[in-house]
Amino acid sequence: MMVGLAFITMLFASVVFLTDALRHESRLGIDQLPDLMVQRTVAGRPALVDATHVATLAAMRGVESVTPRVWGYLYVPSLEANLTIVGMRSDGPEHGALDGALDGALPSGENDVVVGSTLAERLGLQLGDQVALPAADGYQLVHIVGLFRSTSALRTADVVLAAEPLARTLLGMPEELYTDLAVELRVASEASVIANRAAELFPGARVLQRTLLERTHALTFDARGGLVSVLLLPALAALLLLAWDRLTGLGEVERREIGILKAVGWQTSEVLEVRLLEQLIVALTGASLGVSLAYGYVFWLGAPGLSGALFGWSALYPELRLTPHLDASTPLSILAAVVLPYVAVGLVPAFRAAVMDPLDAQRGRS
Amino acid sequence: MSVELVDVHKRYQDGRRTHEAVAGVSLSLTAGSLTVLAGPSGSGKSTLLALAGGMTTPTSGDVRLFGQSIVTLRDHHRARLRRERVGFVFQDLGLIGSLTLLDNVLLPLLPSGASNAAAETHARAWLARLGLGDLADSRADKLSGGERQRGALARAVVTSPDLLLLDEPTAHVDRESAAEIVRALGELRDAGTIILASTHDPRLVEREEVDRVVELRDGRLLA
Repeated sequence: MMVGLAFITMLFASVVFLTDALRHESRLGIDQLPDLMVQRTVAGRPALVDATHVATLAAMRGVESVTPRVWGYLYVPSLEANLTIVGMRSDGPEHGALDGALDGALPSGENDVVVGSTLAERLGLQLGDQVALPAADGYQLVHIVGLFRSTSALRTADVVLAAEPLARTLLGMPEELYTDLAVELRVASEASVIANRAAELFPGARVLQRTLLERTHALTFDARGGLVSVLLLPALAALLLLAWDRLTGLGEVERREIGILKAVGWQTSEVLEVRLLEQLIVALTGASLGVSLAYGYVFWLGAPGLSGALFGWSALYPELRLTPHLDASTPLSILAAVVLPYVAVGLVPAFRAAVMDPLDAQRGRS
Repeated sequence: MSVELVDVHKRYQDGRRTHEAVAGVSLSLTAGSLTVLAGPSGSGKSTLLALAGGMTTPTSGDVRLFGQSIVTLRDHHRARLRRERVGFVFQDLGLIGSLTLLDNVLLPLLPSGASNAAAETHARAWLARLGLGDLADSRADKLSGGERQRGALARAVVTSPDLLLLDEPTAHVDRESAAEIVRALGELRDAGTIILASTHDPRLVEREEVDRVVELRDGRLLA
């Protein structure tokens, strides 16, 4: 019973730990997003943004800075996956932000790239290697000068960071056109006002606010976490039914023991106290074991099996080592959710046996 | 100080059939007496012992323990009465196999509020007196039949009860152990304990320590 309880607790706790940690990772990523992202659409599809918009946007009241960005997706047939190519401007903010996130150096030569650790592992690449990537007009040889660390794998698993000209070559993107514009505001709370003004200024523009992305990320993680949790409900129900069946059959041995305690003079309340203590010990031990196993499964082993259900937005699944991010309420909530029903399930049949005459309890007569 | 059963009946519903385990038994037991309840299996001896010890209530009639009717007592009062004044040795001995012999003997003392050290000393003393001192820390399910029988007796007498009820106390033991047990019962009887023991073992019935033998057949006492 304790093993079953530990197993179910581990499954639940794993989902909770995983979604909490992912949400935390996601929050870290969102914190680095600009206040607004301005994209252009044509016929409802994303289109490249003209460089002339930069100055217009920068002139709007409340706008601190506008950074045109070059990025896009590159399909690699050998991987059967898209890579995310990110262009880096020599004066861009990436230089400071990326300190400590990678091994090696940022691109300085015209063919230098930094790649995500998952991508490097899949292609068997190491620092200093060269690899030919499919470009718009043939193959382009790139030189790996940096690797993103696995701690940032959630955001960098399939990323190739290159100087802007190389990114343009790989993506086949003409000069003076950009994927989108990153806008920083003087006061972040004015985002929706400025987003509306920008949308009026550029008909067909799609202006994304950071708060909107934050909500989308949160909903995605909640939905994925919720889905897996729902899938686990039948397992929990099965365990509770098993527990109920076992405890209502309240094994001959247990019922006889309760009969003996009553016969030697124990009160019903004293029998229940002992039973409660026993149930608590079993439940707390089983649930604590489950929570501990879940912690190891998620944060040490990377949640093999579950991660596929929760990391499913990337073609290259990150080999992610999630950073433990727990507040005390999380394991306590899990313990309460498992321990309380288990103890209740155990106490009801014990109560029924304890209120019987000792003779009937011992003889198994109800 | 006495135990009285007055026209006691105990009926059980067995499906559609009503089974009368005890049918109009009246019996009086006085302090310092050892009474043997003889009779074949299924004659109602165990049920009568349970009634006499307040472990169940009669369907009709009355059981008076030391002046108190158990019929009118609430469950927790009956539990206290059993704890403080009644000792019981069950037919299957009723030891909890997963506990040590000492823990089994301590069971009746735990709710009484006695200090752990005092209770343990007392329990060990009883185990030593019954020749089980070296086995106190052995698990009950690892003991022989005779050792378990004496362990069950130790648990029954550890509270120094006024009434001691024994269901087939010599069923699991050899002749020598049976004699030891009966000798111990004789000592308790001499100390003023009311003892009622069921048996169909002639070795017990014929012992000189026995004051009275009553025979039960089909739930009725034979004259």
